Amino acid sequence: MGNQKKDISRRQFIKASAVAVGSVAAIGFGVEYIKKYDDSGDFQKILRPPGAILEDDFIYACIKCGLCVQICPVQAIKLAGINQILSYGTPYINVRNQACDFSCDSLQCVETCPTAALNFVQFKEVGEKAVEEYDKTHDYKQPGYNPFKSQIKAMKEAVKMGTAVVHKKTCLAVKGKGFKGTPRGENFKGIYRAPDSKEKRPVPLNTKKFDREICNLCVTECPIGDSAIIMEDMGNATFKPKVLDGCTGCGVCVMVCPTEPSSITIEPKKD
Amino acid sequence: MIKSGKDKKPLPPKPMEEMPHVKLGIDYKTWCDSQPHRNKWRYIRWSVLIFMNLLFVFSFWLDLSLLEGSLSGSRLFGFYLMDPFNSLQELFISAKTGHFVHLTTNFFIGITTIVIFYFLLGGRTFCSWLCPYHFLAELTEKLHNYLVKKKKIKEHKFNIGLRYVFWASFLLLAFFTTNLVFEDLNPVGIISRAIIYGPGLILLWVLALLLFEIVYSKRFWCRYVCPIGTTYTMIGKLSPLTIRFELDKCGYCRDCQTVCLVPHELWFVQRGKATQKVHYTGSDCTNCGLCIDTCAGEALKYVVKGFDKF
Repeated sequence: MGNQKKDISRRQFIKASAVAVGSVAAIGFGVEYIKKYDDSGDFQKILRPPGAILEDDFIYACIKCGLCVQICPVQAIKLAGINQILSYGTPYINVRNQACDFSCDSLQCVETCPTAALNFVQFKEVGEKAVEEYDKTHDYKQPGYNPFKSQIKAMKEAVKMGTAVVHKKTCLAVKGKGFKGTPRGENFKGIYRAPDSKEKRPVPLNTKKFDREICNLCVTECPIGDSAIIMEDMGNATFKPKVLDGCTGCGVCVMVCPTEPSSITIEPKKD
Repeated sequence: MIKSGKDKKPLPPKPMEEMPHVKLGIDYKTWCDSQPHRNKWRYIRWSVLIFMNLLFVFSFWLDLSLLEGSLSGSRLFGFYLMDPFNSLQELFISAKTGHFVHLTTNFFIGITTIVIFYFLLGGRTFCSWLCPYHFLAELTEKLHNYLVKKKKIKEHKFNIGLRYVFWASFLLLAFFTTNLVFEDLNPVGIISRAIIYGPGLILLWVLALLLFEIVYSKRFWCRYVCPIGTTYTMIGKLSPLTIRFELDKCGYCRDCQTVCLVPHELWFVQRGKATQKVHYTGSDCTNCGLCIDTCAGEALKYVVKGFDKF
């Protein structure tokens, strides 16, 4: 009697286990299918925070804890929803709403990541090299000795989230138009620290007023500067912003762009 | 291994004169109902659970920097903490891809701290004292019990070993897909992220799980699926903090088994099942304290093994 009961429960266990393994396997096949679909490029790749390792590694290295979201002083980083399917819970930046303006000055999101999905190692190396370079031309006994600025600058430039792309059709500069006023309206909530800003903290974009004969906001507000984007003279009083290799894809240019939709967008890095 | 004593020959059931209600000289039913609505440990536990989860929320909202992150990975006063099952999947995948760069010092600090902490506190203590899904499931369980009592639905039980099957399957799933797929399904992480970073459509999945638990099988996810709980079970195999059962004070009413999330851990409370005068619960026990609250004879108690005198 007892044995028979044991037999039934064992059979039930095997049956339930089969269902369990089967359903997990089904999930696995589903994931593989989505991945294939994903590779075909039908899904838009999302822009990862600074220092993100290659997407294929990022997707498992990120444990979706959200520490980078919490540490970001301008709250540029958000966690993806289930509409991003397999990227659910992973961090991304929507630069049109809030760009990464590097006003934290230390790439905190990269430092805080417990699994180095945002990899600090590369920045450390770059930063150390910059300090070495600085030491060659500066004497640490001098009162003005401060290698940190060049260190941070080098680290900032080592970030590669993506590259900006200019859309000629809507760009004001290409049309030879100027811009006057507040780029994104009074109600826009994005904040950033402009390169010419004297303040330590980022300020809201809607408090700024610009008056440009030829719109060049993307060039003047770029936190990287000349190595990332310059204005190219196209003749006939028209200009075109030209994106250079130094562009990190931080997206400040996208955020400040006054046209709707933005005349400049960020193409997330591929490899 | 600590012996549970299950393989030993059971002691004979206590004779009538040794039953606690006879000793007190009252009726059995009166004795059984003498502690009907005590909720001391439940309230303490719920307070801790809600407080800790709110600490996550307010650390972010008010920038308190006390407990940052979410339940899948966090930082307490700057010390990293990592979810053990997540870490295990990471290790598995890294072994496959050979990409070890993300296994940082902080990663190992996090996982070691958690393992030591929950080893001391009894493994699945995490479940009932921290897990937000446990909290929701505990509430919906009442509805399930009501429906079963009214005979609207039938209770479906499975073998408790099923979660080891799920545990291994999810690990293999992570290995083969090179993706933390479980984190997309994990109600613990989903709820934790939802309350900290804002809700999303994925909460529908949690809702579906809860509904399934209400209409089909009591505490299905916690009992038979959750690999996080299973990992904590493994961590807590030799935990010093458990619940002690004293046969002398037991009245064989089995109220404790009725309220227990993992009733198989209280196998010794049934008449004629105990093999020793004193038993300790195993590592499946979540140390929730419901059995302690409900026991009329106070036969159950939190103890630290080796430091309990009787």
